[in-house]
Amino acid sequence: MTTRKLTAALAFASMCALASAAHADNYEIDGQHAWVTFTIKHGIYGTAHGQFDAVKGAIVMDKADPSKSSVKAEIEVGSVHTAYDQRDSDLKGPDFFNAAEFPAISFESTKVEKVTDKTGKVTGNLTISGVSKEITLDVTLVNEAPAPWDATLTKAAFTATGKVSTADFPMAKAAAGFGLGPDVDIVIDLEAVKK
Amino acid sequence: MSALLGNPMVTTAALPLLLGVVMGLLARLALPASLLFLLWAALLLFFYWDTLGPPVVPPVAASQKLIYLAFAGIILGPLSQRLDAGAGRVLVIVALAAAFSWLGWRRVAGGALDLQMIAALAAGLLAIVGAALLLPARTLPSPPVEEPFLVPAAMLAMCLCGAIASVLGASIVTGQLLGSIAALAGGWCLVQYVAVLRGGEAVAWSKGSELTLVFAGATVLIQVALLAPKANPAALVLSSLPLIMAALVRGPLQGLVPRVRPLRPLAAGLLIAMPAMLAILTALLWAPHGAALGFS
Repeated sequence: MTTRKLTAALAFASMCALASAAHADNYEIDGQHAWVTFTIKHGIYGTAHGQFDAVKGAIVMDKADPSKSSVKAEIEVGSVHTAYDQRDSDLKGPDFFNAAEFPAISFESTKVEKVTDKTGKVTGNLTISGVSKEITLDVTLVNEAPAPWDATLTKAAFTATGKVSTADFPMAKAAAGFGLGPDVDIVIDLEAVKK
Repeated sequence: MSALLGNPMVTTAALPLLLGVVMGLLARLALPASLLFLLWAALLLFFYWDTLGPPVVPPVAASQKLIYLAFAGIILGPLSQRLDAGAGRVLVIVALAAAFSWLGWRRVAGGALDLQMIAALAAGLLAIVGAALLLPARTLPSPPVEEPFLVPAAMLAMCLCGAIASVLGASIVTGQLLGSIAALAGGWCLVQYVAVLRGGEAVAWSKGSELTLVFAGATVLIQVALLAPKANPAALVLSSLPLIMAALVRGPLQGLVPRVRPLRPLAAGLLIAMPAMLAILTALLWAPHGAALGFS
């Protein structure tokens, strides 16, 4: 009798999980169409711009219950560029992103909140140089549609913005020493392929 | 005043040089070795704090581990004075090998045996061998006039060329730190050499101070070799050689040191600095972005 009850409970739980998963769509970040950019104050002068080229990751989007959505992404530190080779080397070096010791920056969501039909807030842990810090990104679903050239390919496009501080990561001392930041504005534009 | 202290050249070069001179003068006042050791330890920690910031608990990145290694060196220094030469040598080897492993485990675990990693392994190994040969040597009853200069000159040479290789190799903060340590040793050497020129005897670092200071310089150099992405591999290997050169000047190369008393420390210093000069030349000639120093 006990075994029968347990089996029934497991079957019910599985059905619920399947029903829930049925609303969730899985996407893979399209690395060729992903732009992770940042701007930071450069001393008493202008604003410096930079971009990471190599991004990969997965998005789970549950339109029926956005709180069940999630994002997991990884950025290759070595792909940073700022339109000047020497500065790129400095950023990859141990004073800043420390690519030799920590080759990747990662983001893993912990909470997704719906704001409007097309916008939401994604909170998660951003890990840079081995140090994790919780940040919140304002995310907009720009569009989701089959590709005009291939009806079997569905893509979604997102824009996300957020702020981090160099003071929260091991680059704090170097950034302060060179008059950078501490506030860093992040703008992410990416497309993701529905699986 | 704050603008002056905010200038990196002041805190990296001028201030530590001045403090090195002060330490040299204090040593000539025959202060107790234990007091001088405490002053060296305080100065070392000041410059670590100034360049790397306060200690982070727990340390994650290698740069955050450096100040803990400096603390370890401060503990090991006095401990080494209680050991005989053989045990002291083992202590130096184990301590530096452990420091290399702690700083570089993520890099080693990454598995890439590229030219940079080979250079890091070679530089680390040569620094360990050099320190093991140089530091635990027995005190001679009547040492030659250049003897008190060997360790400080090796430190000065290793840290100066390491600083230049570091800055040109996109690791500016460790370059500043190595520059500070080099300037401290330089100030000390200057005072002691003036004393020799005036017919006096140079004062040597205590064995404890030697280990603490060399351990600090060697660990920062190892961190540069492991993690500075653009540091010239040949310059890194050459930077680790002054410690071995100093040990050789004490031994087989002693015949190259002239007999004229005031020239002996100078000649010994030049011999010790030869690989460092080559390292600087190599780093400058093959600098990945030209020989401009500083963040762009």
